[in-house]
Amino acid sequence: MMTYWKSIEEFEGGPEIRARAETEFEDTPLRITAGPDRRGFLKAAGFAFAGATLSGCRQAPVEKAIPLLRQVEGMSPGRPYYYASTCSGCPAGCGLLTKTRDGRPIKLEGNAEHPLSRGGLCAVGQASILSLYDGLRLKQPLRHGKEARWDEVDAEIAAQFDRIRKEKRAVRILTATIASPTLNAVVRGFVQSFPNAQHIVCDPQSASPILESHQLTHGARILPRYRFDKAEVIVSFDADFLGTWISPVEFTQSYSAGRQPDAKPPRMSHHTQLESRMSVTGSKADRRYRLSPGEVPQVIEQLALRVARRTGAAADWAKDAPVALATKELDELAERLVSARGRSLVVCGLADTGAQVLCNYLNHLLGNYGTTLDVEAPSRQRQGDDRAVARLLEEIAGGKVAALVVPGVNPLADLPGGDVLRRVPLLVSLSPRLDETASVATYVCPDSDPLESWGDTEAVSGIASLMQPAVQTLAQTRPAVETLARWAGGQSAAYDLVRTTWKREIHPRSTGKEDFEAFWRKSLHDGVAAVRPQNTAVKPFDVKAVRPLTPTPAQDLTLVLYSKPSIPDGRHAYNPWLQELPDPVSKCTWDNYACLAPSTAERLKVKEGDVVRLEAGGHSLELPALLQPGQHEKVIAVALGYGRKESARFAGVGPGWLFRRPSLGEKGLVGGNASSFLRFEDGALRYWRSDLRLTDTGKLHPLALTQNHHTLSVPKHLDPGGGSRPIVQETRLVELSNVRRETAADKSEEDLWPRDHPFTGHRWALAVDLSACTGCSACVVACQVENNIPVVGKDEVIRNREMHWLRLDRYYSGDPTAPQVAHQPMMCQQCEHASCETVCPVLATVHSEEGLNQQIYNRCVGTRYCANNCAFKARRFNWFEYAREDRLANLVLNPDVTVRSRGVMEKCTFCVQRIQDAKIEAKRERRALRDGEIQTACQQSCPAQAIVFGDWNDPNSRLSKWMNSLRRYRVLEEINVRPSVGYLKVVRQGETNEGGSRHG
Amino acid sequence: MNPRITFVVLATGLLFSSWGLVTRVGAFRLPGNQQGYSPVQPIAYSHRLHAGELQIDCQYCHFNASSSRHAGIPPASICMNCHRLVTTSFGVFRAEDELAIQENRKPRTLISAEIRKIYDALGLDDERKPAATKQPAPIAWTRVHRLPAFVYFDHRAHVNAGVVCQTCHGPVETMERMRQFSDLTMGWCVNCHREVNRSGVEGKRVYASVDCSTCHF
Repeated sequence: MMTYWKSIEEFEGGPEIRARAETEFEDTPLRITAGPDRRGFLKAAGFAFAGATLSGCRQAPVEKAIPLLRQVEGMSPGRPYYYASTCSGCPAGCGLLTKTRDGRPIKLEGNAEHPLSRGGLCAVGQASILSLYDGLRLKQPLRHGKEARWDEVDAEIAAQFDRIRKEKRAVRILTATIASPTLNAVVRGFVQSFPNAQHIVCDPQSASPILESHQLTHGARILPRYRFDKAEVIVSFDADFLGTWISPVEFTQSYSAGRQPDAKPPRMSHHTQLESRMSVTGSKADRRYRLSPGEVPQVIEQLALRVARRTGAAADWAKDAPVALATKELDELAERLVSARGRSLVVCGLADTGAQVLCNYLNHLLGNYGTTLDVEAPSRQRQGDDRAVARLLEEIAGGKVAALVVPGVNPLADLPGGDVLRRVPLLVSLSPRLDETASVATYVCPDSDPLESWGDTEAVSGIASLMQPAVQTLAQTRPAVETLARWAGGQSAAYDLVRTTWKREIHPRSTGKEDFEAFWRKSLHDGVAAVRPQNTAVKPFDVKAVRPLTPTPAQDLTLVLYSKPSIPDGRHAYNPWLQELPDPVSKCTWDNYACLAPSTAERLKVKEGDVVRLEAGGHSLELPALLQPGQHEKVIAVALGYGRKESARFAGVGPGWLFRRPSLGEKGLVGGNASSFLRFEDGALRYWRSDLRLTDTGKLHPLALTQNHHTLSVPKHLDPGGGSRPIVQETRLVELSNVRRETAADKSEEDLWPRDHPFTGHRWALAVDLSACTGCSACVVACQVENNIPVVGKDEVIRNREMHWLRLDRYYSGDPTAPQVAHQPMMCQQCEHASCETVCPVLATVHSEEGLNQQIYNRCVGTRYCANNCAFKARRFNWFEYAREDRLANLVLNPDVTVRSRGVMEKCTFCVQRIQDAKIEAKRERRALRDGEIQTACQQSCPAQAIVFGDWNDPNSRLSKWMNSLRRYRVLEEINVRPSVGYLKVVRQGETNEGGSRHG
Repeated sequence: MNPRITFVVLATGLLFSSWGLVTRVGAFRLPGNQQGYSPVQPIAYSHRLHAGELQIDCQYCHFNASSSRHAGIPPASICMNCHRLVTTSFGVFRAEDELAIQENRKPRTLISAEIRKIYDALGLDDERKPAATKQPAPIAWTRVHRLPAFVYFDHRAHVNAGVVCQTCHGPVETMERMRQFSDLTMGWCVNCHREVNRSGVEGKRVYASVDCSTCHF
């Protein structure tokens, strides 16, 4: 059997990890080791203080019930309503349904009818609802950091702008990618109202080289829409398209659509990933090669040469040269691509225009333009122009810019040399929070939250979607469109601006014959409208653009700056849910860190948690080291988006007790900001540099890693014959027809347990397709929002006390330098023969007649016996009173789920509140429950659609079909607890690491 | 710990807690049991008059009961469906009418003090027209029926199963001021759930689950 391991320590099997497997929690300093009898004291104290308890039994406090003054038609208190909208967590523009209860938004769900995201929503999208209820959001405009009134600020800014207009001085507006037609029109109007103004687009995760390469090869500055669902062979050079690259939800959805091993015949794209660090995408790859960023361009060049030869195109523009990838591998890769002409896709995430041109050339040779790459209806999800940004910074440094307006970006923290912004005489930030740029701005005119304002987006040409407010503005903020329109001389409200744009730009492109009013109503209801894409002036591929690349000399250490799926850019640094979300691969929370390959760490004599100083180009940063299997030996990877001013708020996060370690680093922030290591080179923001020096500072910084928490492995001395358990199971595509489910427990007749659960009605169960799961962790945050799960802070995470009901276990297998990865969502398995139930002394956890393992908070006295006896480590204990008296932040709490108090055990309930609600609603409508009507929060959010919930007693339910799949198994089936959660085995392409055929 | 200190701590605890118990014994109540609670409300609304004498259906005002988990307290705009015209009690109205005939004049609009509170809440003047000087403000009723935060009761399920309101709320149509009739304890809930599984509701067979997660989640 294959051996799985979760960390390097486990692989090596040191004494610490063995001890960790034996004791679930870190030893507490409060343990009484000597002195009088603790039990005796507690008994006596119980008698002595019983009276105090009894005297508390009095009439409950008086509560007011305040109804609406006027009934709103069609609104019932206590009923949830859903409004279609669009996510604004990043420019990808996924479809949303905003769930509101009694006038307040409480949850964001994916809109299943949205053609891009198809119901999926990533962790960032799920967590972005917290932004609305953020008490530290700016409540009114600021002038030089002091609170001011809107009319004053407007008048002063207008006066200054008038002076600038008269003097014909330069005004610049720096925005992130704007996919919104309305905001684009407003910005255009703003720019045109000045004699000398320019609009510059800057993305923290820039795709500028892709746009520029298409300018060279196709004569238009466009970003193609990538269609992973149509690709049978995918080759990705350093593009983390399932994690952070351009539109991860859309790509995960379409990638998953192209990998359906249960379809007949099985459909399974072949995915090769060539990357420097272990990304989410790399963890799903069928083949993975480790290349440092400097090696990638040459590999693309050699691959292009080989593909050119095989497709009969000219191959004299470059010479064969040895590169980081062996000739045999290159030939094999070229052969595979050529065999799938028109059905393959090469993507490149490297910020290097030359490499991108060759990537385009590869796709051109393979005939992928028009099939897997859409340039007729291109994407607008990244429009950043790094050349223009670099020019802007020079202009500012030269004192040529009189006024700079920055809506939605934080250049001071995101850009190298962003400090020059301090020299702008009139700097106006539209940031909703006091970020680095806003705190030096002359004026801050806070933008409203997306849930408070009207908006729109056309993320992909032809797919226009609307954003509608779900609540009135909570403070004196104003949508950025209104603010900019006002400064350009207009007075319109955001609603009118959006409607005008749709009347002028979107409705004429609609394919139906309905008038504007009907079109608007339908679009507003659906949240999205499919219209004709705008004409793009794409020219045929220009072969002249293809040029050989100058080889880069080999370097010792390369610094790679990347984005994490949890905090893709610093905009989300305020969000505690995202800060505490374990990274899908490293499983680290509350920090960024320097990722090193284990062999590199050994060479540099650095251990995990050692603080290392990174120095490059005159900048330095101290970060803790983290050992990352599967990383290139010469690469040190550091996440961007950390060390932000907004993370200073987490100084008091988590329970404040005596032995608490701080959640913040030395500088009082979460992590360190690495953006000063970025630089502009060849007109592109470079995310890597080779002049890195790494030194050990001798300091230590503990990292809150969850990878060894809640481990299911058994210590050897407890299970002498066992060893590794078949927790993750995998199969090979070629073997799929031969797989037989091991049904030992399914049909076992001898059973010591009484058959007291007949399950005559429904029997709820969940199935997870491990082959589809990418580990993106959207489900973790979805569960957290739905079930009022608290944030506990870094120290508690270090003590194994994170509260996530649903965790993603990440397993490595094989060679630690180039391991294979499997992701396994693990939650309460709702066992039929639940080991937790038999040990609860107060019957706080019992079985329901529908197969649920119920947890009754008000009955629980907190013995924690159940958690000790849970084989899946799926139970979470409230060590402290995590609920806070924060009236604003508490508005996000789901009123249908109890807020647990201290001393109570909690766990996944299969979203029983949703089950109950759907059952009652079906009864009300006098009909049977429909399959698929109940979706758990994790299932709803999953972009890969890897989770199915349903009735196991209904043979036609989708769940039953998954449960009958030949790939289905149950974790720890051998201990006969009979989980209600089925897992579908990971499907690997032909090669596995058995026999050591892995590459790396 | 020193046994003497332990003794002092425990003895003080005993004293302190006995004192607490003795002084509050009059107000003693089992936790969660508020049976008989009948607070004074901001408007002296009479269920006896409306539901008893006038026989207005419960769900005319508490229209949410069949569609939402909360039956809901009616918004003031529901009151106005009748009280747009009915400004005072019938007796006062008729007396003024007779007086007006005697004095040979048009009857005056008399508004009772309690009904005026509805107009005040909605910001209306005596002619029931929006008054510029009055700021609308919702009526803050004192909640009578209250379940602990870890219990989820759903009116929808019960009303649609045919359970009449009086089963839990008692003879509301006889109550001048609203009173909590049942003790609303878990035993009381579960007994009824068990009972209806045997006897049905209004002769109709029903199934009321006694699983914990029926109410606790």
